[in-house]
Amino acid sequence: MKGFKTLLWLEFRRNGIWAAILIGSLAFWAWGLFQVRLVEVSQQLEVRAILLVLASAIGAVVLALMIGRIRSETRGGQFQVLLLTPPSGYVHIAARYAFAVATAVVYYVAVGGLAWWTIAMSGLPLDAGSVAQLTLAVPFYGLGITVLPLLAWTLLLMVFIAAYRVSGPGWIPGTVMVLGTPFALRWLIEGIVRASYRLPGWHLFGGLEGAIRQAAAQSNGELDPIAVLPQEPLWIMLAVTAILLAIAGRIWQEVEG
Amino acid sequence: MLASLNRATKQYGRTEGVRDLTVEFPPGEVVGVLGLNGSGKSTMLKLLAGLLFPTSGDVAVFDGPARAQRARVVYLGETDALWSWMTPDDAATFMVGLYDDFDVKRYGELLASLAVPRRRTKAMSKGERGRLRLAMALARDAKLYLLDEPLGGIDLLSREKILQSIVRGWHTDETILLSTHEVAEAEGLFERVVYLREGRIALDATAETLRGRGKSVVQTYREVLG
Amino acid sequence: MTIERTCPIDMNAGPIFVQIANHVRQMLARGEIVPGDKLPSARDLAAGLGVNPNTVVHAFAELERMSVIETRRGLGTFVRGDAPVAAMRRDMLRTAAAAFAVEATALGVSTPEALAALKEALNAG
Repeated sequence: MKGFKTLLWLEFRRNGIWAAILIGSLAFWAWGLFQVRLVEVSQQLEVRAILLVLASAIGAVVLALMIGRIRSETRGGQFQVLLLTPPSGYVHIAARYAFAVATAVVYYVAVGGLAWWTIAMSGLPLDAGSVAQLTLAVPFYGLGITVLPLLAWTLLLMVFIAAYRVSGPGWIPGTVMVLGTPFALRWLIEGIVRASYRLPGWHLFGGLEGAIRQAAAQSNGELDPIAVLPQEPLWIMLAVTAILLAIAGRIWQEVEG
Repeated sequence: MLASLNRATKQYGRTEGVRDLTVEFPPGEVVGVLGLNGSGKSTMLKLLAGLLFPTSGDVAVFDGPARAQRARVVYLGETDALWSWMTPDDAATFMVGLYDDFDVKRYGELLASLAVPRRRTKAMSKGERGRLRLAMALARDAKLYLLDEPLGGIDLLSREKILQSIVRGWHTDETILLSTHEVAEAEGLFERVVYLREGRIALDATAETLRGRGKSVVQTYREVLG
Repeated sequence: MTIERTCPIDMNAGPIFVQIANHVRQMLARGEIVPGDKLPSARDLAAGLGVNPNTVVHAFAELERMSVIETRRGLGTFVRGDAPVAAMRRDMLRTAAAAFAVEATALGVSTPEALAALKEALNAG
């Protein structure tokens, strides 16, 4: 992995500002979550949940844009400079991915923290184990099944477009890949659903089940206590991620500039 | 042979490309690659750098595929390709971390002799950025240097400094391929000139042979490509 | 001694190595450099002239062949102590005289007339 450290440094210099803006945006979400106290009490938990989901989704989009941005660098020639550096395509992809994942981890653990804060604001008592699960286990699980494969897919899309840029219009294979993805995704999710719960699931919030059920009752039964996480989606998505990254690294070697 | 193209063809875009190009470069030559816009100069250098792959034919550098030799070949592209936040020190971090043959001491000397200011590239003039990129390229110790238009869009004094740096840094076993439109200024540097037209070789000759016939490289350029 | 500053390179006037070799011989004939003087290194001279170092090496080889200079290992290139300065001076004078003769003939002047003009120019010199 010679050059990995330097490429990681380069990522930090190239995209550090994006990462800083993303992590800085947490202050905005915290402010929003806090302002929800002005909403009618019965709806507070729901609005906060929506805000947290929104923060997670927007974070994923920003990360994907950050990692997939390529046009300015292919035009400016910086991408060509990188293509001719000695490290292999795998090292380049690994460095880009590692930086984005590091940013994502900081962001989503903080979002988990906001979730904990939100629950604490609503008066639900949380034991230490549940707090740790909420701020670590849930974000990492969520990252594993959504953001990690998404970022790998974005990287693959980026090199895919770059690979066809010189000898043909890059946006055509890009469009094909974007349009084909929903079908691949559907197939994948169906497979995951069929496979789920063969392995033992992870029980979270064991000490809290009663309290969650109570909160669920208060919110007219719309809030289900989710306390068991199936293992299969995580392993399958991590495997998919590894495959996407490997393909991206391989294609990188063939990209013309 | 240090580098060669054997019946290499590469067509892309509207005009760019080379057709059925066969040419060899032994060690220790300074070669001028001359031609009008779209004549295939950049394509030839990119093929040798491994930035492009030939559609047909072979491109060999150190007897291997060009891209695989990228750690041992210096390529300076014609685009002004540096990140806007980069300072000369950042550029050194980048080069030291990625290239084993990058000589920091020589880089410092080149920055000084080429008068590159120590600020971000976005605050530099085009000539200053060009000189910085050249310092990054020439501070490497390789056997093959591919310099695509290192003098393009650069002021007269910078051009002279750049040519001097190239002469001073050159070792007798190193081959330099230099494409340029500033033929008159650079011609003294060339041992050999390859004139390209429409992706093919129009003339491949020793510069002193041309002068021996009483014609400068520039004059020959007019006759061959005019 | 400043070969790199005084040597004019004309890309249209034949091979550069010949021009450099001729210039060194001219400087010797004129006494601007003398036997025993050290010449600049090929690389320095090349950088100063903006030409390929191999071209300078070629010029030096040519001068060496004419017994004008010699390379002393590890020390550099020197004008030989027995460099045929007088012969070179005579050669150059003859070349200049021949050029003058060609011009005088073309102008259709008589030999005494041409010699008178030459004498006058030399005296004005």
